[in-house]
Amino acid sequence: MKPLTRREFLSSSAAIGYGLVFALHIPELEPVGTAVAPTAPFDPNAYLSIASDDTVTIYLVRHEMGQGVRTLLPMMVAEELEADLDHIRLEQAVTGPRFAGIRLHTSGSSSSRRTYAVLREAGAAARQMLVAAAAERWGVEPDTCRAESGTVVHVASGRRLTFGQLAEAAARLPVPEAPALKDSADFKILGTPMRRVDGPDIVTGRARYGLDVRVPGMLYASIERAPVLGAKLVRFDPAAALARPGVVEVVPVVSGIQQGVAVVARNTWAAMSARRVLDIEWDLGAHQEFDSDRFMADLPRRLDEGDLFEVRHEGDASAALESAALRHVATYTFPVQAHAPLETMNCTADVRADSAEFWAPTQTQHRCMEQAVKVTGFPEDRILIHAIQMGGGFGRRLFADYLAESAEISKAIARPVQVVWTREDETRHGYFLPCTAERLEGGLDAEGRLLGLVHRSTASDLTIYDIHGGRDIYGDTPPEPKAPDHYSSGLSPWGAFDNPYDIPHLRVDAVDVPSPIPYGPWRAVEYPSTVFARESFLDELAHLAGRDPLQFRLALIGEEQRMIGPLTLDRRRLARVHELAAERAGWSRPLLQDDRLRGRGIAANVYHGGSYVAQVAEVSLARDRSDLRVERITCVVDCGLALNPLGVSGQVESGIAWGLSCTLRGRIDFKDGRAVQRGYQDFRVLAMSEMPALDIHIVPSQEQPGGFGEHPVPMVAPAVANAVFGATGLRVRSLPLTLE
Amino acid sequence: MPTYSLTVNCRSHTVTAEPDTPLLWILRDELQLTGTKFGCGEGVCGACTVHEAGTPLRSCLVRVSDAAGRSFITIEGLSADGSHPCQRAWIEEDVAQCGYCQPGMIMTAAALLDANASPTDAEIDAAMTGCVCRCGTFQSMRRAIKRAATAEER
Repeated sequence: MKPLTRREFLSSSAAIGYGLVFALHIPELEPVGTAVAPTAPFDPNAYLSIASDDTVTIYLVRHEMGQGVRTLLPMMVAEELEADLDHIRLEQAVTGPRFAGIRLHTSGSSSSRRTYAVLREAGAAARQMLVAAAAERWGVEPDTCRAESGTVVHVASGRRLTFGQLAEAAARLPVPEAPALKDSADFKILGTPMRRVDGPDIVTGRARYGLDVRVPGMLYASIERAPVLGAKLVRFDPAAALARPGVVEVVPVVSGIQQGVAVVARNTWAAMSARRVLDIEWDLGAHQEFDSDRFMADLPRRLDEGDLFEVRHEGDASAALESAALRHVATYTFPVQAHAPLETMNCTADVRADSAEFWAPTQTQHRCMEQAVKVTGFPEDRILIHAIQMGGGFGRRLFADYLAESAEISKAIARPVQVVWTREDETRHGYFLPCTAERLEGGLDAEGRLLGLVHRSTASDLTIYDIHGGRDIYGDTPPEPKAPDHYSSGLSPWGAFDNPYDIPHLRVDAVDVPSPIPYGPWRAVEYPSTVFARESFLDELAHLAGRDPLQFRLALIGEEQRMIGPLTLDRRRLARVHELAAERAGWSRPLLQDDRLRGRGIAANVYHGGSYVAQVAEVSLARDRSDLRVERITCVVDCGLALNPLGVSGQVESGIAWGLSCTLRGRIDFKDGRAVQRGYQDFRVLAMSEMPALDIHIVPSQEQPGGFGEHPVPMVAPAVANAVFGATGLRVRSLPLTLE
Repeated sequence: MPTYSLTVNCRSHTVTAEPDTPLLWILRDELQLTGTKFGCGEGVCGACTVHEAGTPLRSCLVRVSDAAGRSFITIEGLSADGSHPCQRAWIEEDVAQCGYCQPGMIMTAAALLDANASPTDAEIDAAMTGCVCRCGTFQSMRRAIKRAATAEER
């Protein structure tokens, strides 16, 4: 099938729109609370409905943050439904009875994996009912009819009825429980490159993000938050702020990650600027001397002193190390990282006397609802959560602290309000990727084969789960002691637990290190630090063994499928991405000989057993080891069937840029309990001039889709660090990468 | 509060605002032109880029008192129907991911092509490097800018 242009797709879907989603395409929203789902005669399941005018409505149960679900999920439904993409309109799921039992939540690169079967079944069930309805109308057997392009046709006679004409009759038929799915070899839409459905709206500025939501009568709020981690609000004097033009109210806010005082004003600027004159007294609390440099410097020692948790023990690694001809140990550290999405946190809330409505750029309406219930005290059926397109998610919008803040303020002032975080708020007051130390020790035999490996990792809990759950991590109550399988049962630390190599004796342990920094998920969650350490260490061992790093790795990849806990790992796929990446990068070809130092490095990872990625980085430096440039990254991805290859390659490009940002200079520091960095000027992310040439290759596959949003991130740092070693002989064991 | 007159997308507007209010917030909160994005408020990220006489300008750094009497074009006014060569090239190259930075990117690229019809790679990098895209769509943007440059030549 020839893919439609996005313009055709979008204009057709937008033109027929009604209800809230399409209200967002016009300057004023419908008055709140009046939006109703369109009534369509054929409504066989939560995911789609078909109206008499042939409009197919597809309800999106995942959240768009740039990973392309608004494009991909309809492709899954339409493929099985045999719908005409011209007649599809998209509607973002709103919390409520229609989606009871469906978790409106987007995380862990799972959207394509988790929805693939469900959405195809939804489309197939509807198709089967439409075909049955047509067969009944014509008095023929259903298997003499087939669906195509939004119609059902009787093959022998050529008679044809549209889905809309059949909708009422189909609705009277039973919904099949196990509808027959197409063979993936017969796919016409899935597997075809499709451009983003939202492209035309984005390039004209019509796309609506959370900060663009406008509700009649709304005010704007900006929150001055605790200057020190965990500081408590003692008292504040609102008078000076209230005297500023445009300021309406000043109220305390205690439901977010850090406590604060909100200035509510008639426009965003008035709210932000009046914060400067607030008079607030804080109890700075226990963490006012917290220093992340000291904390990081102490992490390697903590590996030997903290509470030890068994993660994965196979064979006898200690004995293997004892018997080794050559032993090597190295410790790697990884600093705190911020998400820094371009759209700052925000949420628009309207808490009324007996109901509430929220417009949240969120990855999780599910967790938004929990916070909304907690703060408003209303039951779920009095609350509506609208999910708005996000200006970046990356794990930051997996928790709803900013919704809780908006709920608290709207409730206090009895007006709709939009809470807007500034860039500085975003950089300093959210949650962060934990800093870690990873120590690896390996033993080689006389032939340079790896006999055993011991990996010990600091495994700090993601405390945002506690904060979100209502526990004050800065309070006096110590957390519950952890069960011995606390980490291993969560397959954690990812990348250490699911080390994909065939190592005869392996021992992985985690050491719990509490921290006052609020920790939470970040793109690729725990993989970035563990994979940096693991893949760098393999390179160290290869060089110690006098082996080519590629050949050393291939020797560690067995031929077999095997299980690691619940994860199935196909080692042949892991070997193949290595070989393809090396081949495409010219691994065996000599490097350019010129006035610069040059090197190549390779690294790989398997994400939860589902997606296999290998990268080769090529770097160059000046002779004095200054001016590091990442010249080229070759990335080979086997993510199973690539449902939208254009979307996959976009995510690979994005993941590499993300990984390079953290490799080259990503870090957040805390001094005196305060985040030091304030914005993009000192938490610098990759710029266009630093983006290397890319060679992205997606391995053709009919395997189950394995997800791809986070997968290219973790191996960027070790591939670059290994290339730097190749160029300079200097081993990088801490990030961001420096050569001092 | 004082009132100011300014022209946006060839329409004149009169707004009442504090003199230090950035043009960005006038556009977004007063004129409801929300295509111009807030990213940092300090001129670091480029998401709020608009044009004045074809020159790119960070609207978060222009006070309304200084904007009075001047004329600006926002992403909504770049073309009547999304047909500017950059907008078309952006769609054809499927550049946008989250898309939030893209109005600012397109305004910056359009100004570059206005001044330099066939920029080199280095010139593209120099013009765009002050703009933040956290999704890292840089290679796609480079391709789109070259495609737009070719389209403009024709």
